[in-house]
Amino acid sequence: MKILGVLLRIETLKTVKRRTSWVTVGLFAAFNVIMAVDNVNRAHRFPSYSYALPDSWPNILAGLASPTGFFIAVLMILLVAPEFSWRTGRQNVIDGLSKERLYAGKVMLLAGLIVLFVGTVLLIGVGGTLFSPSEGGPGIIRSTDLSYLGGLILNLLLFGSAGLMLSTLIRSAGPAMGVLFLYFLVEGAIVGLIMRAGETARSLTEYFPANVSEALGDDLAHYPEMLASVNADRAGRGLAPREFLDVEVMVMAVLAYSTIFLLISFLSMRKRDL
Amino acid sequence: MPIIETRDLSKRYGTRPDKSVLAVDRVSFVVEEGQVFGFLGPNGSGKTTTIGMLVGIINPTGGSFRLFGASDAKGLLAARTRVGATLETPNFYPYMRGRDNLRVAAAIKGVGRSRIRECLELVGLADRARHRFSTYSLGMKQRLALAATMLGDPELIILDEPANGLDPQGMREIREIIRILAGRGKTIFLSSHLLSEVERTCTHVAIVRKGRIMVQGTVDEVVSEGTSALLRAEDEDALMAALADCPEVTSVLRTDDGIIVGLSGGDLAGVNGYLAGQGIHLSYLAPHRQSLEDVFIDLTGGDFESMTEIAS
Repeated sequence: MKILGVLLRIETLKTVKRRTSWVTVGLFAAFNVIMAVDNVNRAHRFPSYSYALPDSWPNILAGLASPTGFFIAVLMILLVAPEFSWRTGRQNVIDGLSKERLYAGKVMLLAGLIVLFVGTVLLIGVGGTLFSPSEGGPGIIRSTDLSYLGGLILNLLLFGSAGLMLSTLIRSAGPAMGVLFLYFLVEGAIVGLIMRAGETARSLTEYFPANVSEALGDDLAHYPEMLASVNADRAGRGLAPREFLDVEVMVMAVLAYSTIFLLISFLSMRKRDL
Repeated sequence: MPIIETRDLSKRYGTRPDKSVLAVDRVSFVVEEGQVFGFLGPNGSGKTTTIGMLVGIINPTGGSFRLFGASDAKGLLAARTRVGATLETPNFYPYMRGRDNLRVAAAIKGVGRSRIRECLELVGLADRARHRFSTYSLGMKQRLALAATMLGDPELIILDEPANGLDPQGMREIREIIRILAGRGKTIFLSSHLLSEVERTCTHVAIVRKGRIMVQGTVDEVVSEGTSALLRAEDEDALMAALADCPEVTSVLRTDDGIIVGLSGGDLAGVNGYLAGQGIHLSYLAPHRQSLEDVFIDLTGGDFESMTEIAS
């Protein structure tokens, strides 16, 4: 247990002293403050617009949706990959950490960043509702809100573990970020090709990492009444209804991808010379 | 008690036979408690790779080693807490202050802040501890690395090229620090290609070339291992030509002072007789006490890289 304290201390020191961390978290917090201010303004201008708990959870949690995964992946790359180019990870091992403990420190860093990002969104989002004139409904949080929050946290885990994997495999921040962005372009192109191949192949694309992550982070997958409303609107415009895999299936897929990414980074750290 | 013990330790990079490189080739040596052990060799000779295996950052592909008697993963992890080491260039977080960099190392080694202050003072960096590492000169970086090495008051100190990039004053300071540490009974494993530094500092030495240990022992043993002689004659070109075929001679080095020859035995009279038979009459013939550099040149003399290394 003592080693966990040591790992927590050194990873905190490395992160807190790095300006990149503050800039990234600052930008993220600023983005969420802007969203909260906009929500409060809307609630003041439009009495029908509710910005109070528990109705406003989809709005608040949207701060953790899509771009936040990129934030956390990029931040992981910026914090982990230089350990190889500066050879500081190697020095940590020389100083007495095993490679496995060095890796455990990085997993703790990922967990810490997830807590930091989720905490920032909850603090700013829930804090924002205190300035809203809207009346809240019964209860503070619903099971659908918890499902959405859980899905978003798993997405952060997926992106963060992808960032960790790319950092340990490529060992250089610039190329690792390049591969991260390239992956999404390549997956998009492959999905485009497969979509023309037929229904069976098309259904496979739903399990691709970026697709399943996007679906799990979509509020419609967690709020059936919102999905019903959107599909009714789409039906009125002659569009096909939006459909999602079961949340449980998406959770399993995202957990499986995250486990694979973490396992690859562990093996890379353990097997390769520093 | 052996502090470091390697047996046929090897490291091969790559798996394809035609493209793989054998960086360390069946290296065996023992470093006993209290020794100042010099590990000599030109760049690319496998010194850093050997140290990397000892400190756990490089996985060996053959052989074995023991640190403080431990050879299994758990034992080695515990043994490494008794080791302070720095490899090649000092590796620190450039955006952190010198003191904060030492805080990271201190947390890993489980030592307190007072020890950080002590070590900074020992290497003369207390005044610059609040400045960022990226603003340090190379000499200051080397001294910070030395401070980090000493943080845990280790029993074994491994220094890889600690004098790299230092001016003569800086080298002298490093030598002094090594002497102080050796005086405190620390075992020191020093890798370097600055031969005069090693000869002045070390009690034992091993010379490595292309991944293999060529010779090892106390400095005196290694220096006296090959007998050599200083020769002078009227016509040094003719003398050089005659020496090339002399069966007793193992190496020939022309210097401003005369020609230094390495001899397979100590038979100076035999060499004199052979040269007389070739019509060469010596004006001077005397045993020559080799320096570590002479031994090094003898052992790595055919290696162009080695020669340029010494020249640099």
